Amino acid sequence: MSRNTLIKIASLILMVVSFIAYIAGASAFPIASENLLPWSAWFLISVIVNIILWSNVVKLLTFSLAVIWFYAFVAGLVPESSTAVNLTELDWSDPDAVAEQGALVFNGKGQCAACHTVDTSAPPGRCPDLTDIGVNAATRVPGMDAKAYLIESMYQPANFLVPGYGKIMPEVWKAPINLSKLEIEAVIAYLQSQGGEIDPTPFDEPIDRADIGTAAEALPPLLTGDPELGKKVFVDVACISCHAVTGIESPAAGEVNEEDFEVVTAPDLSEIAAFNDMRYLEESILLPGAQIVSGYGAVTVRAKGTTFQGTLVSQDTEKIVVRTKTADGTEEEHTILLTEIDDEPIEELTNLMARGYFTLTLTPIDADASVTGEIVSETDETVTLKVGDENRMFSKTDVKSQMTVITFDGDEIVGDHVSGTMDDYEIILIVDGSEEVFDTLDLDLDGTAMTRARGKKLLVTSPMPENFPLILTVADMTNLLSFLSTLTGATAEAVPEETTEAPAE
Amino acid sequence: MTKISKKRLYLVLGCVLVFYAVLAIAPAFAQDMTEAEYRPFPLIGSRSAAWIAAQLHLLFGSFILGVPMFAVIIEFIGWKTKDMRYDRMAQEFIKLCMGAFSTTALLGGVLVFILIWCYPKVMSKLSGIFGPTMIFYVILFFGETFTLYLYSYGWDKMQGRHKGWHLFLGVLLNVWGTAIMFVSNSWLSYQTSPATQHGVLSEMRKKSWMEEQLAADPSLTPETVMEGVTDHSMIPLHNEVTGEFMGTVWDAVNNFTWMPINIHRLVGNIAFGGSIVAAYAAFRFLVAKTKEDKAHYDWMGYTGNFIALCGLIPLPFLGYWLGREIYLFNNTMGINMMGSLFSWLFIIQAVMIGVLFIGANYYLWSGMGRIDGAEVYARYRPWMIIAIIVSVAIWMTPRTLSKISSASELSAMGGANHPHLGLFGLMTAKNTVVNIIILTTFLSFLFYRRSGKVPTVGWRKVGNIAIFSICVFAVVAIIVIGIVGFSVPTDFRVNILTPYQVLIALALMAIVTVIDIFMYRKATTSGTINWGEMTDRSQYVLILIAITFTSLMGLMGYARSGLREAWHIFGVMQDTSVDAFTPLLSEAVNMVAIIMVAFFALVGFIFWLGLWGEKKKQEKAAVEAEVAAQGDD
Repeated sequence: MSRNTLIKIASLILMVVSFIAYIAGASAFPIASENLLPWSAWFLISVIVNIILWSNVVKLLTFSLAVIWFYAFVAGLVPESSTAVNLTELDWSDPDAVAEQGALVFNGKGQCAACHTVDTSAPPGRCPDLTDIGVNAATRVPGMDAKAYLIESMYQPANFLVPGYGKIMPEVWKAPINLSKLEIEAVIAYLQSQGGEIDPTPFDEPIDRADIGTAAEALPPLLTGDPELGKKVFVDVACISCHAVTGIESPAAGEVNEEDFEVVTAPDLSEIAAFNDMRYLEESILLPGAQIVSGYGAVTVRAKGTTFQGTLVSQDTEKIVVRTKTADGTEEEHTILLTEIDDEPIEELTNLMARGYFTLTLTPIDADASVTGEIVSETDETVTLKVGDENRMFSKTDVKSQMTVITFDGDEIVGDHVSGTMDDYEIILIVDGSEEVFDTLDLDLDGTAMTRARGKKLLVTSPMPENFPLILTVADMTNLLSFLSTLTGATAEAVPEETTEAPAE
Repeated sequence: MTKISKKRLYLVLGCVLVFYAVLAIAPAFAQDMTEAEYRPFPLIGSRSAAWIAAQLHLLFGSFILGVPMFAVIIEFIGWKTKDMRYDRMAQEFIKLCMGAFSTTALLGGVLVFILIWCYPKVMSKLSGIFGPTMIFYVILFFGETFTLYLYSYGWDKMQGRHKGWHLFLGVLLNVWGTAIMFVSNSWLSYQTSPATQHGVLSEMRKKSWMEEQLAADPSLTPETVMEGVTDHSMIPLHNEVTGEFMGTVWDAVNNFTWMPINIHRLVGNIAFGGSIVAAYAAFRFLVAKTKEDKAHYDWMGYTGNFIALCGLIPLPFLGYWLGREIYLFNNTMGINMMGSLFSWLFIIQAVMIGVLFIGANYYLWSGMGRIDGAEVYARYRPWMIIAIIVSVAIWMTPRTLSKISSASELSAMGGANHPHLGLFGLMTAKNTVVNIIILTTFLSFLFYRRSGKVPTVGWRKVGNIAIFSICVFAVVAIIVIGIVGFSVPTDFRVNILTPYQVLIALALMAIVTVIDIFMYRKATTSGTINWGEMTDRSQYVLILIAITFTSLMGLMGYARSGLREAWHIFGVMQDTSVDAFTPLLSEAVNMVAIIMVAFFALVGFIFWLGLWGEKKKQEKAAVEAEVAAQGDD
């Protein structure tokens, strides 16, 4: 076989291989360990060689493959970006953060940007331009304030139509867009940010998602899920380990199952569907911490020097009741006044409320005395405390920091921080009114701590694992929801079967 | 290596392959065989399996629907012009159709098996609704099969005075084929738009709905219950809770997108059939050894491309009609299609359609090179190239950049639209340039038709001035309407302005064609068409057009199916399988690429079989002739 023929065959093989590798998304083909050449480049090289060396038939095949590849390549050039939002970990007291997430919903899942523009210079879209809608919303319908108008526009868009525009906006809380209440709240905050004042406080939805027709339309998994398979999922993924359901045998609380998972007491689900809609059930599985049933939240709180770890039984404005379990399994209830909860040092003043802090003690940089108050609201830059009867806003950056250092002699020294960290040569603190300089080589690295404030903390979490979105397939989830929807407290015979009967004449 | 050892080697290799195949499919048989909602397809998954089988079936289906249409048209032309070249070409393609026909049926069977295996509940639901149409489908299929046999095997027998009957068989074959396509379109279009327009809803459903309303609200009377019912969604076809179908079979068949898809596919098949014929001719042209063969296949390529162009020109209008019906059925679905989730798919579509029109025009201009006297039209070519390139560029401009932009980019742009180029992304701009592209292509064809001919009628100058004036008026009117479209409400643009743009373009083509036919009726020829003197490049363009057509069909299959998002039947039956997500555009196009390769490999094989048989026949005839000659001696 001549050298020319070998080159031709090698080039042909390379073209086919590089085409398959490109389509299959294989990683780049190395020509040297430090030099990688993508399959698309190999493909192009072999195409050129084949067109030069081969005669008509192979040349034609090469051309055909190159055209097919070209379209795949062009489509691969389209960048894909995610407009996924994270509303559950969002700091809802920060209006700007809420509006930012709302903008993502507006341009992403909500598909609002497909019709609405937020730019007066842009060509008119299918729906009104929303520049300054935060202000203009208050002028649309007499007697209706901006937020009320925006809420109505989201839920019942046909109630009021801007002159010149048709009835084309869908009800975004219904299929196929299916915006949740949180997503709608975020979009409204974004719309308010267009010239208006953002008010991210929750509102009551003017619709009833539990309405059977609405629920079925918005949550069609019910239409196809199999309750019997869902029951199997309920047992297989160990829901039954903690949640009791009439008619299914469950292990006793306190036992440890094969997966080393301790059985804890969780709400009885025998009648869960009688009082809750599907969206609540779905949210409870995917985001167990979003709403915690009273008496079932896990809490760790430190008061009067003792740490209490257990279940939050009740809570009011003055006290909490925590149920703990001793080593021998005995349960005890402790009533703890909120004022008795110990102050904890706080290093970073971010997301205080999300982290469970409800009081704060800080020293403003221009004041000598510290201030203590109940946290009312916060943003990235500020925190508002209720001090006495008045609300006072403090900058999070303009507070005095305290630093604790421990010398190698074992002396613990606390003072107002002036400058320096353990990365520097020296640290300067004001201790008892006088400035003291510490050589960092003389300090214990592990004993150094910076404190920007102190605060009382009460964080309630759900003891339910958060990995269900990972371990459940869509079909499992649908079946599980179908099963849960049958738990109305009625007898097992009431489980609906998918009907195959002909429609009544 | 001896012959026996080779055999053994093949045997071992075969056993290894069978072993691996069994290993691959064994898990599927080990599954729970009780009533399941979904069953996974081994190795590649259910969606990929159904996708590949459905798209291949559809492409072959288009082939065996499009090529007979092409054949009947060509046969008719041959009959009327008494030019036997047309007749032979039509017969050649019908022979090729026979192989493709069985492949289509085979792929259809594979598709049905995959669907029943992987999606039993969906198929149960669909067959529960469409059962009677499936029986009708089988009857039509028998009709088509036996008509094809008669049409193909009776070709030589039914020449001369029986030609009319043979043509009737050809038309009947196309009627069967089209009816089959209409029936299967009803199933898939129902999945996309399971609702019937109020005006054509069955009396049975209206009556049952009235009874439901009267039972639910005692204050209503039979006289008042229908008051204000104008919208299709007010009388749903399904129970809102259970998804149970409550209409008649005709209500399901006659859904919003059924007829637009029927017509779109019908015309698309003509274009597809023409382009495949042209690609086949291009291949034969490139490998032809003699001048006669080159001339024959040059002519065949031209004819195929001409039929493809005739189908291609109205396709954008029909696509617009289909899109409009999708918007009418569900506005959100329409917006998803053109302005949101699938907007970039339509940019890729614009790239492909741009390639089709540029390619078709290039072929025509290239063809004018082999006509003596066509040089007079060369001066218009640069302007036409500019018009098409600019128009394609505008057509490719995305409407919204929200899917590919970061929050900061969106903020910098002041929204999801580009501050300047965003104008070209609007439908009014796109509709305008589509009309311009179509008219430019029409003009290319007009010049091609006129090449080498000199009109002899006395009013030729007036005729040319009239044609020029009509063209200028129409183009200006289309552009002005397009500009006005930027500042009027969408409803007015969609329902009034755009149809007028289309009507102006169609009217121009109709009027100019009529004038031109009369003007060149007794034209003298200034030069001949030198068949066979086309460039090789132009033949590659024909192949490019065929591949682009096929890729476009694959891409549109993804769009039509993807529009349903996570629904088997939109709004009625949700997809809860592991594939309940829309694949990325790049993934979809990669899948289309795999299907393209498989399709062209199979078509190539069928063509090769046809050529092989033809070659054997020719060799046999040559030997017989030689023997006969020796016998005479």
